Amino acid sequence: MTTTDTTKNAPAARRRAASTDSRAGSRDAGRKPTTTIIVTALLAIIALYFLVPVYWVVINATKSTEDLFGTSGFWFGESFQLFENLGAVLSANGGIFPRWGVNSLLYAGVGSVVATYFATAAGYALAKYRFPGRRFVYVLVLGGVLVPGTAVALPLFFLFSSIGITNTYWSVLIPSLVSPFGLFLASIYASAAVPDEMLEAGRIDGVGELGLFHRLALPQLVPALVTILLFQFVAIWNNYMLPLVMLADERLYPITLGLDNWRAQTDRLPEFYQLTTGGALLSVIPLAILILVLQRFWRGGLTEGSVKG
Amino acid sequence: MRSKTAPWVLLAPFLVLFIGTMIIPIIMAIGYSFTRVERSGLLGEAGTESTFAGLSNYIAALTNVNFIESIGRMILFGVVQVTVMIVAATVLALLLESAAAKWPGFFRATYFLPYGIPGVIATILWSFLYVPGLSPIVDVLQVVGINIDFLGPNMVLWSIANIVTWTYTGYNMLIIIAQLKSIPGELYEAAKIDGASSFRVAMAIQLPLIRPALMLTIIFSIIGTLQLFAEPRLLQTMSAGITSEYTPNMSAYAFAFQYNDVGMAAAQAVIIAVAAFTLSAIALGISSWTEKRR
Amino acid sequence: MKPRLSRRSALVGGGAALTAGLAACAPPNPGEVNAAPTIPPADGKVRLTYWAWLKDLQNVCDVFNQSQDRIQVDAVWIPGGNTGGYAKILSAIAAGGGPDIAQVELRQVPEFALAGALVDLTRYGFAEQEPKFDPGAMSQAKVGDSYWAVPQDTGPVATFYNREVLEDELGLEAPATWDEFYETAGIVSEAGKSLISLDPSDGSHPIAWVMQAGANWFRPEGDGWIVDMVGDASMQVAEYWDRIFAEKLVGVGYGSFTTPWYAAAAEGNVLASISGSWSDALVKTVPGGEGKWAVAPMPTWPDGYASGGHGGSAAAVASNSQHPVEALEFLTWMCTDPAGIDAMIEHSGIGWSPAADYIGEPRQQPDEFFSGQNYNEEVIVPMAEGQNLEWTWAPLMQRVQAIIGDGMTGAVTGDVPLADMFAEAQTEIVDIMRTIGLNAEEAR
Repeated sequence: MTTTDTTKNAPAARRRAASTDSRAGSRDAGRKPTTTIIVTALLAIIALYFLVPVYWVVINATKSTEDLFGTSGFWFGESFQLFENLGAVLSANGGIFPRWGVNSLLYAGVGSVVATYFATAAGYALAKYRFPGRRFVYVLVLGGVLVPGTAVALPLFFLFSSIGITNTYWSVLIPSLVSPFGLFLASIYASAAVPDEMLEAGRIDGVGELGLFHRLALPQLVPALVTILLFQFVAIWNNYMLPLVMLADERLYPITLGLDNWRAQTDRLPEFYQLTTGGALLSVIPLAILILVLQRFWRGGLTEGSVKG
Repeated sequence: MRSKTAPWVLLAPFLVLFIGTMIIPIIMAIGYSFTRVERSGLLGEAGTESTFAGLSNYIAALTNVNFIESIGRMILFGVVQVTVMIVAATVLALLLESAAAKWPGFFRATYFLPYGIPGVIATILWSFLYVPGLSPIVDVLQVVGINIDFLGPNMVLWSIANIVTWTYTGYNMLIIIAQLKSIPGELYEAAKIDGASSFRVAMAIQLPLIRPALMLTIIFSIIGTLQLFAEPRLLQTMSAGITSEYTPNMSAYAFAFQYNDVGMAAAQAVIIAVAAFTLSAIALGISSWTEKRR
Repeated sequence: MKPRLSRRSALVGGGAALTAGLAACAPPNPGEVNAAPTIPPADGKVRLTYWAWLKDLQNVCDVFNQSQDRIQVDAVWIPGGNTGGYAKILSAIAAGGGPDIAQVELRQVPEFALAGALVDLTRYGFAEQEPKFDPGAMSQAKVGDSYWAVPQDTGPVATFYNREVLEDELGLEAPATWDEFYETAGIVSEAGKSLISLDPSDGSHPIAWVMQAGANWFRPEGDGWIVDMVGDASMQVAEYWDRIFAEKLVGVGYGSFTTPWYAAAAEGNVLASISGSWSDALVKTVPGGEGKWAVAPMPTWPDGYASGGHGGSAAAVASNSQHPVEALEFLTWMCTDPAGIDAMIEHSGIGWSPAADYIGEPRQQPDEFFSGQNYNEEVIVPMAEGQNLEWTWAPLMQRVQAIIGDGMTGAVTGDVPLADMFAEAQTEIVDIMRTIGLNAEEAR
């Protein structure tokens, strides 16, 4: 990898990043107002593009099936039945939708937390210890990052079915506990952010090796942890092929698979359009809020991640 | 002494899971890809046995027109979509960082928003915007006199590209912004003293310095392209243009669960994995080569 | 000392994992259930699960559950076959689980049997129930001498058309023969409308056409298959539709019952659908169509059959079921008892009844939507009786349908005419059958 020199500068880069805002302000001063208007208008038009599907789902979740087809998709229909629709979503099929939501939270929540911990521990070990086999592990895991997850999904299914854990929570959860990308991020971050002297000092104080990791290194690795956690959370939350292959029981579905299930029924039963639209709204809103809130952290973490190449 | 076992203790949970969920399945896939099934009776009811197939599954996969077409389709898709997306992400990042616009925080958040929406849900939303009769976009275009069938056989690939671009542009933009923020302010000051225009600053200072970030986004995008599965699979029921073997991944899935040909499915999965691996390795190689020459 | 030990143990661990992986390397082959002894009826009460995408199927099961207290059937909704249901059933069975009973489209039954997912019902005496079933339904669940599923509904093809526009406005009639269809389609297309609109990638239509014309594409013979897609009947159909496509007499932008089709049908721009009898329920959702539509027989050839089969499902007993006898008892009730048929029509809106001599209580009256026509008794019954009973589905219909669909897409654009495509497809299909380990020959 080419970027060892840049990685050493990570903390320095952060310091610089902190000073950029004042720099932006000083550059702003000399700009013509017409440029500002043109650029802002351009960005606003582009923003429309990113918002159209979200806008559509907000508007159309309020409609009856009849209005959905009969009235313009860009404005409210004659009936306003948002709450009836959402009620139908939540109660359909014996309240299966909330259950999908809980499943998604379980897969993504537990999966990302555990994956982050495991990946960080492993990444830290690779960064802070010199031991035989280290290079081999590195190369092996690098291969893992580059092989598409979906190519592994099928053989994984055959493996899991031979040990009898397909169609269980485990079948989706276990593969979600692995984040090769997280390992890389953690190891690169750890080599820059955890000084050897600190670990040596800890050893002299009689702290055990695991204690060194948990009590001294982990606090230093928080920015990397946040990035890995978010990255893995989104990856599991978005996953489609793995649960599709593994799960047969609707009650184990994550929200993505469940909504797809409903959408598939719109062909024959138009009332499922309303359920799908309402369900999409319910699953988009919390995510949108989460993304907006976490965007700050994300940026901070990625500053480190991106430098690593 | 303890520090010799410690790294393995720390590595163990990750490695066990990594081997169990990636290495063993890959070995299994390689194993399957060299087998075929012999059946006796009209439907194999009189017995089946697995036999060594040599390279026949690979030969069959690589001479299967649909599979080759699906790979070609993904290459075309990747070249166009990844280019459009990276250019868009870079331009947006430069515009937002140029401080020429008002409310950059709002725009940044808006562009990033789709990343939080799973591909499946993004596809459901966009599909409603593609379907004639439901889509206000199609209605509006018709009023203007443009008749586009977003789900038509030739158009649907680009409709999928649009969904992917919509989802990931903001994410890539954030990576690039992060990189731009790490450019030392002194460089800008120097450029300002030289009287360089914003465009010159972008071309001469910003673009070369964000090359590592661009490389990263391109690599992830290439891997993403080869993984394409959810979007076309969901649109399959709505578009005549999407077959069961539309993308390499869909093809492997179809062979495994619909066509009763696990050996072929495994061979295809291996080919996909090798292709992704090779492409990414080449991209990494080119990137480190150009870095060294700099 | 210690490090070496740990390294070795890591190696040993890795090696063990590797061996385990290699041991699992034989592709999965779900149970050889049809070689094992049959499972005797259970002594006590039995609970069955039934995976299907029919709506409200539980209501149908409940009728049965209340009629006796030995067998309890629980219906579980799954997505439609090709939209994920099949993969779900097959992967669950491969994983050693899955339901007792699964809904499988008639044409997919042999493919499921090939996957080792089904119980050979002949071993449980199902052949004796034959007289209770409609022969056109039963013949589609049979391969060679074995029945692999219980037919649940069928789709004899008929013509569903917009009577108001076709007859009142254009002064035409529903075409009784394919020659008339050609004429009518031409006039309708000159009027700026389409008689029908096809999704060329949907291979189910050409298959229904050749089936009606009297072709038998897949013939079991001894231990192997004869694939014959270039016989006279097939060629007659191919050349006919090549002419239709070349002269652009029908729409090819979208298939029946898609959203654009509904929009065009509501505006009177697409006038008909030639498709399975289950189309009635879908046609009824054409906005503003009440009282304007009607049903006519499928257009015919001078020789050949009255109609073809288009869609329809079976209920198959899955190979992991511990209660095949009870499953069969329930299915025989559901698919032949008038109470079962009526419940399936009322709750699940099934296609054509699979029972002999009973089409269902709700289907014996005139229908207001279809111009007051008693179309089920007048039109569909003869269609169901005029089926090609020689037809056998091959154990690779998904791929056949995809090949034919791709081929028709090519034919529509004028790349390769259907007549040549059928011959190429025949070679390709035989090749594939051999690849999946079957014994297959091209005809002649």
